[in-house]
Amino acid sequence: MGQQVLIFGAAFLGSAVEATEALTIVLAVGLTRGWRAPLLGTVAAIVALAALVILFGQLIVTRIPDSALKLLVGTLLLLFGLNWLHKAVLRSAGAVAMRDEARAYQQTVSQLQETQSRTDWVGFVLALKGVFLEGLEVVFIVIGVGGTGHGLATAVAGGLVAAAVVAATGFFVRRPLARVPENTLKYGVGVILTSLGTFWAAEGMGATWPGDFLSIFVLVAVYFGASRLAVELIRRPALA
Amino acid sequence: MSFLRAAVRQVVGLFVSDWVQGGVVLAIIAAGWLAVSRLGTPAVVVFVLLIAAQLVWFARAEGVRRSRPQSPS
Repeated sequence: MGQQVLIFGAAFLGSAVEATEALTIVLAVGLTRGWRAPLLGTVAAIVALAALVILFGQLIVTRIPDSALKLLVGTLLLLFGLNWLHKAVLRSAGAVAMRDEARAYQQTVSQLQETQSRTDWVGFVLALKGVFLEGLEVVFIVIGVGGTGHGLATAVAGGLVAAAVVAATGFFVRRPLARVPENTLKYGVGVILTSLGTFWAAEGMGATWPGDFLSIFVLVAVYFGASRLAVELIRRPALA
Repeated sequence: MSFLRAAVRQVVGLFVSDWVQGGVVLAIIAAGWLAVSRLGTPAVVVFVLLIAAQLVWFARAEGVRRSRPQSPS
């Protein structure tokens, strides 16, 4: 039960971050050029992504031996989580600018206004590209988080609920979700994904964790502590 | 074609932004794979500490590099 909650939470939070980025692009296109083309682009991207989840999700879960699957997905999840965590540390330390959805939205709007005279394929392709590329990360999070812990259905549910919540909020607000604390969410999800990746990679190596999945919380504490240490070392280089 | 290139770049970029760091993480995982079956739990502890240490090392290195003033050239 606890593991399923963790899987749902990780899939939900990770997917919500990416859905917010995709929504920013779709809103910018829709409000600038009309809604028909970007909505068609969004639907096309969602269909392509659903096909990927069904195809690779089933293939991975049914064809690959359990230990090899845990090692493979754990390794990928570890690399993925560390990538997010690394960027989150640099943002927290002020070495890299925070991602700003309002600014990303304005940049997309400016680009679109320059190409206003072209056909509406621009709107379709932009929405398709934005939703598909951001959605690839959602697909990986869902398969990575759910595939190894026998919780693919739970992870898919987490991803779908996140997409629905973000889409509904975007529909009512009709503005980029600049108030979503995206950088903080990415930091938290980076820690969780790195911990899950470590847990599954070690299980794939043949290790048995003391306390089973409860050791994930110890891993979360270790990686959070390490990331805060990195932030402090960057802010105050004299400590290093 | 450019869309496909962007998709491939995006997929690779999901896992690796710094090739050296990616290589170090894979080397730690490979060493862990060899050590865990022979040494058990102590090897897992060392594996976790090495992953955490490389995070601190590479983040600090990039942070310091980015905050260093550019020399005029």
